[in-house]
Amino acid sequence: MESSMQNSNPTILNAADLPTRLRPSSCKAGTYGGGILASALPSLADPTNFSLSESEESDEDVDLMEEPIDEQEIFDLVSTISDPEHPISLGALAVVSLPDISIKPTLPDVPSSLLRTVSVLITPTITHCSLATVIGLGVRVRLEQSLPPRFRVDVRIKEGTHSTADEVNKQLADKERVAAALENGTLMGVIAKMLETCQ
Amino acid sequence: MSALQTFLLVVDHDKQEAKQIAERIAQDVETKKITLIEVVQSLGEYINDEDPILRGKAVSYLTAVIRALPPKFLSRQQIQVLTTFFCERIEDGGAVAGLETLQKLDRFNKALAEEVARAVFERFEELQSRSQSQRFQVYQLLNELMINHRAALHDMGDESLVGIVNLMTGEKDPRNLMLVFSILKVVMVEWDVSNHAEALFDSVYNYFPITFRPPPNDPYGITAQDLKDRLQDCISANSLFAPHAVPSLLDKLDSTSPNVKKDALNALIACVKLYDPNTVSKYSITIWETLKFEILNAQEEFLSELSLQLLSSIAQRLSEGVTQVSDQLPLAQFLRPITKECSEQLQEPQQKQAKPAQQILSSTSAASAASFTLIVQTVVAPLLTIYQEADGIAKQRALLDTLTVLFDSAIQVYGAWTSRDSEPSLSNPLLEFKDQFSDIFGQALMGVIKEEVSFRTSALKGFLRLSTLRNYFQDNEVGLFVQYLDEILLKEESVGRDDLKKEAIAALTEISKYKPRLILDITFPAFVATLPDSDDGSNPGYITTLETLAQISVERDIFDTLVRRLLSKLSILLQKEDPGSVDYPRAILLTILYVMNQRKLEETPNLDLYYDKIVVSLCRSAATAALGKAPNNILTDATVLDVLGRLCNVIIRSLPQSKHDEVVSNIYTLFASADGFQQVPFTPSPTDSHRRTMILSTYLLASLPRDTKNLPPCTPPVMSDLLTDIATRCTTETETATQLAFLRHLALYINKHLNKEDLELATSLFDTLLPPTTQDPQLTTPTIKTLFWLSKALILRLSPKTTQILTTLLNLLSSSSESTSTTAARGFAILLKDDEVLSPTNHANIRLLSKQRVFTTLTPLISARIREVNVAGNTTITTAPTSPHIKPAHLTALSGILSTIPPTLVMPELPTLLPLLLQSLDLQSADSQPVRAATLETLAVIIRDNGVTVIEECGHVQSLVTRLLKTAEHAPATGAVNGPKLRVDALKCLFLLAQTPGSGTADAPKVAKAGKLSPLLPVKSQVLRALRTVLDDPKRDVRKAAVDARGAWLRGVDDAAEQDD
Repeated sequence: MESSMQNSNPTILNAADLPTRLRPSSCKAGTYGGGILASALPSLADPTNFSLSESEESDEDVDLMEEPIDEQEIFDLVSTISDPEHPISLGALAVVSLPDISIKPTLPDVPSSLLRTVSVLITPTITHCSLATVIGLGVRVRLEQSLPPRFRVDVRIKEGTHSTADEVNKQLADKERVAAALENGTLMGVIAKMLETCQ
Repeated sequence: MSALQTFLLVVDHDKQEAKQIAERIAQDVETKKITLIEVVQSLGEYINDEDPILRGKAVSYLTAVIRALPPKFLSRQQIQVLTTFFCERIEDGGAVAGLETLQKLDRFNKALAEEVARAVFERFEELQSRSQSQRFQVYQLLNELMINHRAALHDMGDESLVGIVNLMTGEKDPRNLMLVFSILKVVMVEWDVSNHAEALFDSVYNYFPITFRPPPNDPYGITAQDLKDRLQDCISANSLFAPHAVPSLLDKLDSTSPNVKKDALNALIACVKLYDPNTVSKYSITIWETLKFEILNAQEEFLSELSLQLLSSIAQRLSEGVTQVSDQLPLAQFLRPITKECSEQLQEPQQKQAKPAQQILSSTSAASAASFTLIVQTVVAPLLTIYQEADGIAKQRALLDTLTVLFDSAIQVYGAWTSRDSEPSLSNPLLEFKDQFSDIFGQALMGVIKEEVSFRTSALKGFLRLSTLRNYFQDNEVGLFVQYLDEILLKEESVGRDDLKKEAIAALTEISKYKPRLILDITFPAFVATLPDSDDGSNPGYITTLETLAQISVERDIFDTLVRRLLSKLSILLQKEDPGSVDYPRAILLTILYVMNQRKLEETPNLDLYYDKIVVSLCRSAATAALGKAPNNILTDATVLDVLGRLCNVIIRSLPQSKHDEVVSNIYTLFASADGFQQVPFTPSPTDSHRRTMILSTYLLASLPRDTKNLPPCTPPVMSDLLTDIATRCTTETETATQLAFLRHLALYINKHLNKEDLELATSLFDTLLPPTTQDPQLTTPTIKTLFWLSKALILRLSPKTTQILTTLLNLLSSSSESTSTTAARGFAILLKDDEVLSPTNHANIRLLSKQRVFTTLTPLISARIREVNVAGNTTITTAPTSPHIKPAHLTALSGILSTIPPTLVMPELPTLLPLLLQSLDLQSADSQPVRAATLETLAVIIRDNGVTVIEECGHVQSLVTRLLKTAEHAPATGAVNGPKLRVDALKCLFLLAQTPGSGTADAPKVAKAGKLSPLLPVKSQVLRALRTVLDDPKRDVRKAAVDARGAWLRGVDDAAEQDD
């Protein structure tokens, strides 16, 4: 293991510094802002309120509001994958980052089409990392498992961050080769381990 | 036949008989009927026999006789003769036991002990080849000699040392080894081992690492850990072992087995703790060189922890007796390569390797004041230089974290402000950097842009450590930090998740423990100044301020001050003509309630003051307000009265019994009878605000213990009238809050204060509320509420009529009036629901079995009724058509009960319940959502605790999965209403199905063993396909749950069960 470790001392980002989605807490806040004072008071609401569904109705508007899949959501899906070399997440290692994720209509000429293409650019921790392909494959598998069928997944190495980027990209883009790789038990074992930490 | 011959015959099969024979002979010897010589002589023909077994038995005979003699009988000479005799024949059975008996005698001397030891050592080869139990005897003899005649063995010096080593060589039995290790440890510690250190060390080290695993039903109960401990004691027994022990143990760290490495590290820690400091010093650097790798490339967390512990132990040993630090100290030499390595790793402190470097500095610097001083002297200045030259904020932040690690060590070594132990004599080396730290951390906290939250958080944490460290900062310096924190909390806008503000509040709370004065002098005035005189609705920021104040008011002085200040704010508000929104006074009361709940009020010396100021005075004001004589209407607001009531409740509960009488007589008059305030009960038509004071009355009543005397209605006729009066008001009250107060009031009396013999009052009240014809009851909502609260009070105390009451309530569900049926169905949820007022803390009478009783009574009835309805639905026409609301009503009632029942009670009934739960998932209307949510919650608990197997046993996997998938679907077109929350809950159940043990390959070997495929396998592709659609749900939370569930099914449910690695 140790001898095959290619980058034993990568830079690590602090988990608190990774981009996250802020919950729109203000819209839910009652008189007490959901703070500690509210906790002192289990409920001012009448526990005998027999018409249970009444309170739900006020949420109707919120319920109807759509939340389309965005870049942050993609980031949340892939940033918790762990690196095959370190027990550290791809997000903390800055292998994936929010600005390097984009979602575009697959057919820009057909505005009514729901098809979308997600592209994720990967930045290996060092330029000659031979595990870049495995990482790319891991990201791909994760996205294909977690996105609806109308999404096309495109995973590539970020330009200028890897010595054999073209080759790796070719491999990641080639459907046949991806499928073949996923038949490989050992490789799938590695990828399953990487995905274990996904929350 | 002689005694000897009889003995020889019986000894094998009848130990008792043999013993008696020996005792008889011993008696003969004692009474001089026979001499000892004769006994020995009688052995003559047997002890020279060729058969070793026969010889052994003959010697045992002699041993048995001697053992039966009184301890002082044998003369010194006799002992000597016998000893010699036994020693010569030591290879014969029984001789060892004989010697063991002899050496216990008072007249046995040192010379004899030597003779015995020598005899054992000379024949060691012979003795080694004996059976395990005979070897045990030999070791025991040796052990006894060690205990009783240690000087003799000690004087033999090398002879005994070598003898013992030879004797135990090759020993394998764990029980014998336990004994051997303890004998050897004595030799190692007390003998001069200089000539044979290696041999002695090897004799025990051969056993390292111990891989023993006790057999099942081991009669001796020796564990591997016992052996490891004794072996470790031996290895660490003598400093002379160091040249052999340290290198060998370090070699073991190359092992691939983490357990061997763990044993080696533990042994090294023991060695370092027991070898003399010079020896430790000699090997310290070698050890570090090896450990470095273990820590920087940690394989397992626990190995790295042990390694750090080892380093810290070395530093501790080397610090012994050090009163002044210098470069020449062995400690300094040990630390030099360590600090060098760490400094190198910390050049880029944001990288992965910096973490172990920090850990190394942390554990070594916390070892002692000397160690801390040396490390600080070499490390801090370079760190500060890197900080000044750092090119990025991430790097600076990592450096702040590193310094904070050192501050933590400083607190361990020098203590916090509240530490009581004495301070180390060496002065704190951090003092030199005080101003620099103050600048750097202050600048990092306050001088960067607000968005750098994690950087500022690191600075805040470091600053807090320095403020905690004993005798470090002056009060004005801590004060500066407190000002910074105030500024962050009061002036800064919220950023992101407000992590910094949360940390700031935590920091102020921490400081309030050490320096309450500073909080009172700086934070309090600043915060209280921002509280408005009244809330005109423009700035609700006071809530944040109050929340902060509530959280930092843990210390007594601060608590008192806070309550006093808030009460004076409140009294100003109560005097105002135009006090603005009632939210503000309510928030003030709520803050007081919060801090009072945080403290043990019984121990507060000011409790009487709070009673006067809050309970008496505010209740009286409320009564005045109810009469319309107050300047404003704050105290007629129901929500304000509710909080005030809770506050009174908390205070009165903490008061001693003696104070309760005053409360009892003021439950209804609210301490205001002198002002012309009339009690609500029995008053013909009180105004709205007058009735609202019942909220306070209810809380006052709730706080009194069950055995309270002199309650207003202490006699049955009065009680009956009062109950009827309150019940009538329950059914006619129009304001919800007031109605709830009346309902609880009624329940409190019935549950707590009604004698058993008076329970009839309550049941007859129950009957009068019901309509005269029970066939098709139709009731108003307030009446149903009253019925359920009344029942709740009775059921919780398991009144004799419980079953009857439950059946009557259930009958309401079959009413042809939909509103009666539906309202009653929802009422079942409150029967067992924990109530804040009718609660154990308020001395409510809640019997343990009440939940079980309700559940076991109602479930079969509901189940039967639903079956009836289903059948009627199928056959139609023939019977009278049942209304469509009846089945949902029963399912609602069931879910209401289930939500208040612990899962352990539910499990045995699962086969009956599961079909009902599945039917409730079939409901699709919007108003059935709460029912379905409750069902899903119950299912989630069942699945989480028991896995899919319980569902499989009932044969419902397919139907459950189908319904869950349907509930998870967002399909407005079909008319089914599944709110986002419901969809998430359904997905959570699906996730748990695949996730929990028993569901499949989460525990692969178990399944392989059972040779069984996961019961989920048949539905796997259905689930995966359906979930793929759910991945496109419009709601993010639903998609997240779908991703998790799908992942669990992909991972957890395996196509091929035999897939093993």
